[in-house]
Amino acid sequence: MDLMLRIAAQDAASPAALRQLYDLTSARMFGLALRVTGNREWAEDALQEAYLNIWRIAGDYRAGISPPMAWMGVIVRSRSLDFLRRRNSERADAGVELDDYLQDTLAGDGDDPLDLADASQQATALRQCLSKLEARQREVVSLAYLRDLSHSELAGQLRLPLGTVKTWIRRGLTQLRDCMGRFAS
Amino acid sequence: MNLLGHPDLLDQIAAAHALGTLRGGARRRFESMARENPGIRSRALLWQETFAAFTELQPSMLPNPQVWQRIENMLPASRRAAVAPAVPSDLLQGLRRALGLWRGAALAGGLAAAVAVVVGIRLDQQLGQNETTLAQVRQQGEQLTAQLASAPRIEYVAVLQDDKQAGSVLVTFDPAKRALTLKRVGDYREGEDKSLELWALPPGQAPRSLGVIGQGAAVARLTAAEGEVAPSPALAITLEPRGGAPAGGGPTGPIVFKGALLKTDT
Repeated sequence: MDLMLRIAAQDAASPAALRQLYDLTSARMFGLALRVTGNREWAEDALQEAYLNIWRIAGDYRAGISPPMAWMGVIVRSRSLDFLRRRNSERADAGVELDDYLQDTLAGDGDDPLDLADASQQATALRQCLSKLEARQREVVSLAYLRDLSHSELAGQLRLPLGTVKTWIRRGLTQLRDCMGRFAS
Repeated sequence: MNLLGHPDLLDQIAAAHALGTLRGGARRRFESMARENPGIRSRALLWQETFAAFTELQPSMLPNPQVWQRIENMLPASRRAAVAPAVPSDLLQGLRRALGLWRGAALAGGLAAAVAVVVGIRLDQQLGQNETTLAQVRQQGEQLTAQLASAPRIEYVAVLQDDKQAGSVLVTFDPAKRALTLKRVGDYREGEDKSLELWALPPGQAPRSLGVIGQGAAVARLTAAEGEVAPSPALAITLEPRGGAPAGGGPTGPIVFKGALLKTDT
């Protein structure tokens, strides 16, 4: 993605390049921020910080090592987690029903296909493997990662018994491992 | 137990580690094993990379248009200044050419490993740190990627002074981010037709330009590889024609500030 190079050049054309990158990617990145924070306002703040971050460190991006969407996704998730942690104490109701999440578009549901040129191989493989999991398992595993939650935090937030969460995660990971193994090599 | 002899178990633990659900002592023990054993480390990295792909799989949502406005307003003033066509174009082109050459040199400097902001590399670094730090990083959650990339790690400092000790420039350098930050103290101001330029002074070699400092800017940020900065025991700032000394040559003006470069022991 030569946009990164144009941003990193920090010349007169760089702000326009950032704008172009933003136009191309902000909807996907905002979707991610929203999933992590669960709050529109925080997601927008996190998005803002993430793109300012990208503006500063675009020069560190290496196309050969990671695909642009994955690189940006990691930055957006980090900023979003910052907001989540900072504001969690203020949050009156941290608990969310699992069904609320299930209404969301799930990874692997076919909607909103990834731009294959920008998606990493891992994303393609993960998407396929996730689609083979039961919806609830897929959701618990996704949330564990995206929100950086422990078993007991997941149980608390999703109002599920701890044993259930542990079982779903364990089974989910086992299935993912078997499936991802077929993509490797 | 030799995890390498139990590939299924190794994968299970590495996956739980990457997902973030492996916690506490088990997490620390696994990270300590990964540090020592490349076979275990590579599984840990592979899973880390796999799960990073979760960030690519979320449904799109359009953010409020005001978000872009806010981003645009916050782009650093020093960089926005580059957009304003206040400088005559031939000088501007000269400056760009100089900057381009200097950046090209920086990129060619074999620094990929030092700066790669990538899940795998990041984790590798993390695994290389001591266990206490790891535990702390863990507590902060899985920010071990971009988060670490954004935290400045100042490893070099220099205080450059003029001969009257009236003003000075504080220089800090973060090699991981290739970020050179210059802060002016005192009221030295170059003339309208002049620019200040920062030089590394490697022993036995010609001074090497590290970049031109923006006109009158209180804080300036430049980009440089560790290899361009670290070998020099001292840095200097010269007064050059606006836009800097001609690319490829040495300094043409007098030294205004000079001082030793010190490595901070971290």
